[in-house]
Amino acid sequence: MSAHRPRVLVVDDEPQIHRFLGPALDAAGYEVVRADDGAAGLRELARKAPDAVVLDLGLPDMDGKEALAKARAFYDGPILILSARDRETEKIDALDLGADDYVEKPFGIGELLARLRVALRHRVQREGVSPVVRAGDLEIDLVGRRVVRAGQVVRLSPKEYDLLARLVEGGGKVTTHRQLLTAVWGPAHVEDVAYLRVFVGQLRQKLEADPAAPRRILTEPGVGYRFVSE
Amino acid sequence: MPTPVRLLQTAADRRRPGARAIGGYVAALALVALATAAARALEPVLDGGNLAMVFQVAVLVSAVGFGLGPALLAALAAAVVYNFAFLSPRYSFEIGHPADLLTFSMFFAVALATGWLAGRVRDNARVSARQADTVGALLEASRTLSAAATPDQAAQALAAQATAAAGAITIVLLPAEDGLRIAGGPTGLEKLSPDGAAAARRVWESGETSDAETGWTFRALQGLRERVGVVGLRGLAPDAEGRVSALLEQGAVALERAQLASAAAENEALRRADQLRSALLNSISHDFRTPLSSVLGSATTLLEFGTDLKPAVRRDLLESIAEDARRLNRYVGELLDMGRLEAGALRPRRSWTDAREVLNAAVERLGERLGRRKIVRDFARDLSKVRTDPVLLEQALLNILDNAAAYAPEGSRIEIAAHEDLANVLITIEDEGPGIPADALDRVFDKFRRLQAPSDRGEGLGLGLSIARGFIEAMGGRIAVASPVADGRGSRFLIALPKAVPTAKELL
Repeated sequence: MSAHRPRVLVVDDEPQIHRFLGPALDAAGYEVVRADDGAAGLRELARKAPDAVVLDLGLPDMDGKEALAKARAFYDGPILILSARDRETEKIDALDLGADDYVEKPFGIGELLARLRVALRHRVQREGVSPVVRAGDLEIDLVGRRVVRAGQVVRLSPKEYDLLARLVEGGGKVTTHRQLLTAVWGPAHVEDVAYLRVFVGQLRQKLEADPAAPRRILTEPGVGYRFVSE
Repeated sequence: MPTPVRLLQTAADRRRPGARAIGGYVAALALVALATAAARALEPVLDGGNLAMVFQVAVLVSAVGFGLGPALLAALAAAVVYNFAFLSPRYSFEIGHPADLLTFSMFFAVALATGWLAGRVRDNARVSARQADTVGALLEASRTLSAAATPDQAAQALAAQATAAAGAITIVLLPAEDGLRIAGGPTGLEKLSPDGAAAARRVWESGETSDAETGWTFRALQGLRERVGVVGLRGLAPDAEGRVSALLEQGAVALERAQLASAAAENEALRRADQLRSALLNSISHDFRTPLSSVLGSATTLLEFGTDLKPAVRRDLLESIAEDARRLNRYVGELLDMGRLEAGALRPRRSWTDAREVLNAAVERLGERLGRRKIVRDFARDLSKVRTDPVLLEQALLNILDNAAAYAPEGSRIEIAAHEDLANVLITIEDEGPGIPADALDRVFDKFRRLQAPSDRGEGLGLGLSIARGFIEAMGGRIAVASPVADGRGSRFLIALPKAVPTAKELL
């Protein structure tokens, strides 16, 4: 990675955020492109073709969702959202609109960098498809539709498997309730979050060492679930 | 209050209708006697037909004066007397002449007709007058009742009106935490006897009227939506019943309205407190999070990459942390100030203060937030001292200066002045910022009101000016703003602090 420093576009209207994010990303080995509002962000996105984007949803000139939708029209790379904890719906909407993940303000730099790494790695994985995902003693074969835990085949119902596959494809990023429900149960069931609770519970029973303290399928309260492989 | 007096008089009139009626009949007979005497005296100059006219006058006067009954009596008496004393044969009830029979019959018919008609007119007029009286009294009562702003005022007004209308002692009881309390009635009547209280309580619970066993007749006051209270009457005349009922109905509605209004006022106060709380939370979540993000982000960056960073970058991150910590401290101060103002816990500690010194101290505290903006002073050489709280005044002035610095461009002038007129020390702070739109002038002191983002973004909760006004007013001063000041730009804040003359002792 030393030859090619991944380029990250940071779109935020707060100078104080740029002030530490710039040096931190630089020290972490990224090339930083700075934009102070939505319009500048979209311009830089088109001109510099960054490898990833960090986007603050609270921009002065346009709604964060609007900026996201416009970006997604021509940009396919990972987009990380900066949002406040109390802006629950804003965050979920952004994820549903195609943001890859989010970090809540205020955040430590380590958290942001970890999320950024996951998002970037996931893109690489998708390009060079890896059909078998390993996580501890779990082995999930996305082509053969087979799950093996500690050498034993785990029996999953078709819905359980679909849900797990969808979570695993997230590659460590959060997948929203809406995305999971639409993919597994169909668009008519986007409100039926209770289904998810039941099926995630069943999956944890079958896959987690301690289903009461899950380490593979993590809950993001009010937002969705995240599959963690390391 | 003219109305209760009138009501009292009418009530007194109505209390002795029998005596009045008998008086009318007696007077009618007296009039006939008078007419007889007059006819006797006029007999030498008038003939029989014209003498009859004298009696007709008596009948007419009785009718107009005392109504239908006395008029008919007068007609009868006049006919008898006329026949007896003036128709031949005289001093006999016989009628000798056939023509006289006709005269007598016509006389009696005319007397009856006149008496009946005039009596009817009079009675109608009396009924109308009484109705007008009742309506007038009710209107007046309704006006007094609806002017009542609180349930207690309504209760007092109702008790006064009902006492006047009924001639009975009236008390109004309203529900309280432990049963009923007397909210309106004659002064000095603070408490009912245990029996009376129990009777009132039963009426409150059942809604039925009590008997007068305890000396009081209690009735429920039924509003449009629910029972609102109980009224107690003592010594109510039976014929005042209808009038009092109408009044009590009205009173119940007025009481209900007052209760609803006071509940609404309470709700409004709660709603405003709620609004402030949510504005506060909103502000905390938004305005606190940015500096917090910056502090946390910079600190973790230093922890993570400290040795990899260039010394200049390290220093910049540390400065950024210090700046934002200061900013947060200022926000916390603002919130505390606002909280003190809202809670009414502000106790100015007044001492004799030189406004110029406080202005200078505020400029000093503004420090680097002033940037390259220039402070221009225009102070009176001699300035009266004011008795005020220098700490609060300094904070108020600092908030205004801070506002000026946030909006005025770098390099512009901020003029501070201190002068006095006969009654006040006047402080003005004038900036060359963009000014305040006319339609927003009266809102600049509102809480969390930021008309536009300041030029140095992210500064302030929108509480500064609101706090400034709160402090100034707590010290008995006034604050106003004018904008634009010149060339469609700039704003001028004017503060007037009332002067007081210090005693020699206080100055030493």
